[in-house]
Amino acid sequence: MTIFSLCRSRARLFGLAWLLSLSQLLAQNTSIVTGRVTDETGQPLPGVTVLLKNSSNGTTTSAEGTYRISVSAANAVLVVSYVGYLNQEVTVGGRSVIDIRLAPGDKTLSEVVVVGYGTQQKKELTGAIATVGSKDIQKVPVSGFDQALKGQVAGLQISNTSGAPGGNTSILIRGIGSITGGNEPLYVIDGFPVNNAGIGNPLNTINPSDIESIDVLKDASATAIYGSRGSNGVIIVTTKQGKSGKARIEVNAYKGFQQVSKKLEMMNAQEYAAWVTEARNASYLDNVVGANVNDPNSKRAISYQIPTIFQDPSKLTTTNWQDAIFRTAPIQNYQLSASGGSDNFRYSISGSYFNQQGIIINSGLERYTFRTNLDGKLSDKINIGVTLSPSYTKQSDVQAEGHYGALGILSAMQSMPPYVPVYNSDGTYSSYVVATEGQPSLANPVQIANEYKIKPSQFRILGNAYAEYAILKDLRLRTTFGSDINLFKTRTWQPSTINPSTPSTASARNDENTSWLNENTLTYKKRFGNHALDVVTGYTIQRSFTNSVITNATNFPDNLVQSINGGTVTSGSENIQIYTLQSFLARANYAFKDKYLLTATIRRDGSSRFGTNNRWGTFPSASVGWRVSEESFMKGQSLISDLKVRASYGLTGNNAIGNYRAIGQLATANYIIGDALTPGLGRSSFSNADLGWESMRQLDIGLDLAVLNNRVSFTADYYRKVNTNMLFTIQTPAATGLTSAVVNLGKVENKGVELSLNSRNTVGALKWSTNANITFNQNKVLQMSNDAERILSASGGRPAYAVTQAGYPIGSFFGRRFLGIFKTEQEANEYKVQPNAHAGDVKWKDIDGNGVINDNDREVIGSPFPKYYFGFNNTLSYKSFSLDIMTSGSVGQQVYNNSFYLNNSGVQNNLKYVYDNRWVSPDQPGNGLLGRAIRGGKNDNTQYSSVYLFDASFWRIRNVTLAYSLPTALMSRLGIGSARVYATATNLYTFTSYMGYDPETNISGDSFTSFGLDFGAYPQARTITFGVNLSF
Amino acid sequence: MKIRLFILMLSACLLGACSDVSLDQVPQTERSEINFYKTNADFYNAIVGVYAAMKHPGIIDKGSGSYLYMTELVTDNTDTGAARGGTAAELYYFEDFNFSLASTTLSNAWTGHYVGIARTNSILDRLQAANIPQASKDRFEGEAKFMRALFYFNLVRFFGDVQLVTKELTSPYEANSLPRSPAADVYALIVSDLKTAETKLPATIPNTEAGRASSWAAKTVLGKVYLTLKQYDNAATKLKEVIDGNTYSLMPKYADIFPATTSFAANKEYILAVQYKSGNIGQGSDLWSNWGAVNSSVALLGTGGGVGGGFNRPTANMEAAYEAGDLRKDASMLSSYKATNGTTVNEKYVVKFRQQGALNADSDVDFPILRYADVLLMYGEALNELGRTTEGLTYLNLIRKRAGLADKTGLSQADFRLAMEQERRVELAFEGHRWFDLVRTGRFVTVMQSKGFKVQPFHQLYLIPQRETDLNKALTQNPGY
Repeated sequence: MTIFSLCRSRARLFGLAWLLSLSQLLAQNTSIVTGRVTDETGQPLPGVTVLLKNSSNGTTTSAEGTYRISVSAANAVLVVSYVGYLNQEVTVGGRSVIDIRLAPGDKTLSEVVVVGYGTQQKKELTGAIATVGSKDIQKVPVSGFDQALKGQVAGLQISNTSGAPGGNTSILIRGIGSITGGNEPLYVIDGFPVNNAGIGNPLNTINPSDIESIDVLKDASATAIYGSRGSNGVIIVTTKQGKSGKARIEVNAYKGFQQVSKKLEMMNAQEYAAWVTEARNASYLDNVVGANVNDPNSKRAISYQIPTIFQDPSKLTTTNWQDAIFRTAPIQNYQLSASGGSDNFRYSISGSYFNQQGIIINSGLERYTFRTNLDGKLSDKINIGVTLSPSYTKQSDVQAEGHYGALGILSAMQSMPPYVPVYNSDGTYSSYVVATEGQPSLANPVQIANEYKIKPSQFRILGNAYAEYAILKDLRLRTTFGSDINLFKTRTWQPSTINPSTPSTASARNDENTSWLNENTLTYKKRFGNHALDVVTGYTIQRSFTNSVITNATNFPDNLVQSINGGTVTSGSENIQIYTLQSFLARANYAFKDKYLLTATIRRDGSSRFGTNNRWGTFPSASVGWRVSEESFMKGQSLISDLKVRASYGLTGNNAIGNYRAIGQLATANYIIGDALTPGLGRSSFSNADLGWESMRQLDIGLDLAVLNNRVSFTADYYRKVNTNMLFTIQTPAATGLTSAVVNLGKVENKGVELSLNSRNTVGALKWSTNANITFNQNKVLQMSNDAERILSASGGRPAYAVTQAGYPIGSFFGRRFLGIFKTEQEANEYKVQPNAHAGDVKWKDIDGNGVINDNDREVIGSPFPKYYFGFNNTLSYKSFSLDIMTSGSVGQQVYNNSFYLNNSGVQNNLKYVYDNRWVSPDQPGNGLLGRAIRGGKNDNTQYSSVYLFDASFWRIRNVTLAYSLPTALMSRLGIGSARVYATATNLYTFTSYMGYDPETNISGDSFTSFGLDFGAYPQARTITFGVNLSF
Repeated sequence: MKIRLFILMLSACLLGACSDVSLDQVPQTERSEINFYKTNADFYNAIVGVYAAMKHPGIIDKGSGSYLYMTELVTDNTDTGAARGGTAAELYYFEDFNFSLASTTLSNAWTGHYVGIARTNSILDRLQAANIPQASKDRFEGEAKFMRALFYFNLVRFFGDVQLVTKELTSPYEANSLPRSPAADVYALIVSDLKTAETKLPATIPNTEAGRASSWAAKTVLGKVYLTLKQYDNAATKLKEVIDGNTYSLMPKYADIFPATTSFAANKEYILAVQYKSGNIGQGSDLWSNWGAVNSSVALLGTGGGVGGGFNRPTANMEAAYEAGDLRKDASMLSSYKATNGTTVNEKYVVKFRQQGALNADSDVDFPILRYADVLLMYGEALNELGRTTEGLTYLNLIRKRAGLADKTGLSQADFRLAMEQERRVELAFEGHRWFDLVRTGRFVTVMQSKGFKVQPFHQLYLIPQRETDLNKALTQNPGY
């Protein structure tokens, strides 16, 4: 496959550049005019059309607002036009540099917004849709656009749950609507609703610099056109299209470095020795009748013994394990793009290379992306076009998360006794196996990072072709055919050297995800006097195929061959899933006098995922808008330039319920018969012919206001979403032979308010503009099943730490209520419900008041979801300098720090926080949150309680960019249209009281019923990059 | 021409790629109820699935399933070497007699047995109508009923009255108000199932079918059921049938019963055992690596042998129970091992199921469910209860003889009971008998209390898992919990 080989060769990129510059040279035989187009505030305007009057010779401005055009006559006139601005004509008059400042027309209102199966002018919108332009997407040097969207759109909550290169983000639009179905929004890339599968974060396969705009569809009016896939919201990504005019070539490059944004303070070797000694003694006295603290090891059971190495702690040296696993890691990105065309043919092509090393040794991501967008006009009636975006991503992952027993690097790092060196004197890795004295076996985290190899890679090509035929002037038929070919694989290798107790294992996994889509739409757009009508109807079919093959090998004779071939293949599996979707859709927009707006949509979806009794679903919505500012009584005032109120209501669905869930299945239950592995089977699920989509009804009331000639614009929305018929895994009595069943039931509500503000604060020489948004969302489970009143979520070795039950948010923290630490023996004795407690032990609330503390004494003790989250972004510019400061934050959420729990259990205790704040004696009671050092005390202080929850509110300076645009005149002498250099700091500082690495990272991924769990999540990096944008 | 382009695109789609957009999609790589339970092979696979239920975490699992916590850890035989807290909390419920209603060990036990029962019911529901040979039908029926009886027998002993399910439940809600049936009804089903099984199961199991149940297995369980029900006549009759069948015998050396090197053909003592096999095919046993001395790792288990969980650690009282010169002791447990640095670590551990090698939770050693020595001892017990104490002593002494111990003579009926209790404890140690034996003989509370355990009479039944009582309001809790 040629494209594939292209992907692998960076050299080809430069060949492409050479070709493009050649074409540029051939055109240069007349005088050249360059310049810069800015808005009334002096901000550069990209994409402005600059046309030589009465000719087809034209160009568009670069991202920095610069243009370059050849003119043949001195009296030539340039016509400069841009949506939302007044056209301007400029006579060249022999000048070679002409800077142009455009005056605003009705800018914000004539912005075009991409909606499902069409576009609409912003002023006509009756739904809640937010648009983010390319400029704001490219500000942050990240691998995926989802990370760039953070803090930019009200109602869009994006959490970087992992700081790994290509790591996961969890994205929610207006809260969590589903308990066990998917909560991810639907991603539509250039009209293609994609399956979100792949390695790491699947959105990494799209190069953020290729994106023209992102539209976030939030309310039912906007999303109902996507029917059974609309209820989690829709994110429409539109890539850059060619514009007619002269070829424009752009080079963007940045390079920088990353460091872990925070290091934790750890105990030194002496403190550690003191701690462990204290913990062992306390436990010995607690558990063994007649024990004396001076008893020698020979009298004690293993877990109470004092390691002999502690006999003289002053001889111990301290290893900084954090320095051993973290590093300064480079990040770099190079992109070359070209676009242009004529009236009949337009092109936009690009290629890029991105390389991000991770801040944990041996992790990283490398990506090649390419894109070709071509549009042609075959005749007055027919347009055709094609989009092709191949990408290749290669990752080197490390096992950062999880318990050290499962080789979690961060957990191992935090648990490793500080006196253990990274390497033994002979250069081999040290490890910690002194079982004789009751220490746990720990693998060396540096060794894990170096030797435990996880290598995923992904090749993906998204292709889409369309043809559009104008049957009549106002009636257009459009057919598209697209496919998403997504191939990814992962190879892992875990050698026996890491843990001598575990033999070497290797696995190979290959996935093929393909999906094709055919869409046929008929659009009718017509104005009759005061009436404007825009109707679209369509029929679409989509088929998705996934096939994954997993092979595991073990019994390696040695570690020379690190693939499944080196050992014996011991297990393997193949899984094929097919899902089909057929849909009919229609939407009508009607406007009367451009003041009274009405939109109605309907979609009917049939899906193979649904049970035979429930195969087709219908999803309608309606919305109205009133442009108050167009009323006659609003004329003659100059304060309010635009005012619109709107309301919508509709029904959407969530079909992320998995494939074949309606069909009863049998699972493997093998056994040994006659000393041979013999296949066996047992029922694994109930049949449920009624299984269907999750339904969501949403009300949205919104207001759009712009004042002072659009200098300040404000949008407010109130919404209430109620999800019903949720995909629900109910617990079933074991007597059925199965412990769970998938049914539709339950009710969840999300309601909230979104506010966003755009303001150009100063417009003089110093320009300052602000974009601010804030979202208040409340999630509440309204109803669960009678049979499953609550769902408990287990994770991190905890059988239950979060609960989903009526009256509380999904995945609320659930456990014992911490009341404090018994400061004295007397206090402990007086609290009768904990008979085993002593001074320094943890005190819990007897919630059911029965005088005994057990599992019935648990309640909701916190929430992993914020009360509100916000973005606050500012841009300052002065002459050629500009400064962007983007911040975002969220307030009120909590995190369960499981690493801290582990570090407080008396076995492996390295956090200085634990040492400094523990109870030592009645005179030294610590901070009142941490009990005494004890390993396995009878009171079991490590029982999960509210003390392990921490406030994770934060405000993060996400991105600071300082840029300088080089003088155009100077650049044009060098043959460069424009040049901009910049320095960016990402994740510069985070204001938070959270004691872990990062308040946002957690290992829950996309699971919201077990959210807010910090258990060695890959920490966030602080990144400094330097970059340049050139255009020719 | 332009129109033709469209027709071309549309027809290319409709005729070609779009042809497979049917909304009826069935799983291609998973078996579904739509096409299963048709052939002889299907039923055989389903029967294998029934045996495999013994490897449910709630039953034997790899060895560290609920069963052994509920029958050994809970008694004076073993405690745990794992420190308190974290995942070891479950283990300490059994040490402290302070059970949590949410105990996963107990809810797994409940679940595991019902999973097995449901698999038998799915087969029995469909077997008569199936178009397969009659001989197959008979054997499958015998196996399904035997296993169903075995699962119910465990359930009724662990929990008392339990829900009686004898057919496949197809709706998730079907058991939501199903109450507990009296233990007597459960025993009636067990006896009836075993009576069917002993007639329909084959007497001999060829090597190629090692692991499947024979008619002797059915008779042995039936004998044990009668013994439990104190129907000593019936018990003696049934167990005598097994003895007279001459299919099984005592292995000459106690230490030869357990190792992986003793093949099925050579092992004359196992009537039914959970089958394990190494090779990382998900069928290995962890009876050695998980039961090894806690954190012993390479020093005891060898490279790649695991870490040592110390889950079922013999108590000092257990060690003392072995009479001087008992050959069974060193074949059953050891009290120390040498650390890698040469020092001696004093930690007790079970060695019955030892298999050295890079076999972390993946050894070949089978786990006995029914063993001939048990048959002899049960028969002796039944005889004693029938007043035939002297006759019973011969069977007790058969076991003692192999252990290198002197015969017991001239015991009263009451003394015989104590001698039998002691003999069963050491002969069958760590094989999941102790709790059943003490409860069956009514000695659990006395014995345990005398050794300082906080046992109360209600502990002779386990609690009904909260998971089940939450789901089904008709399910009552056992007294005391």
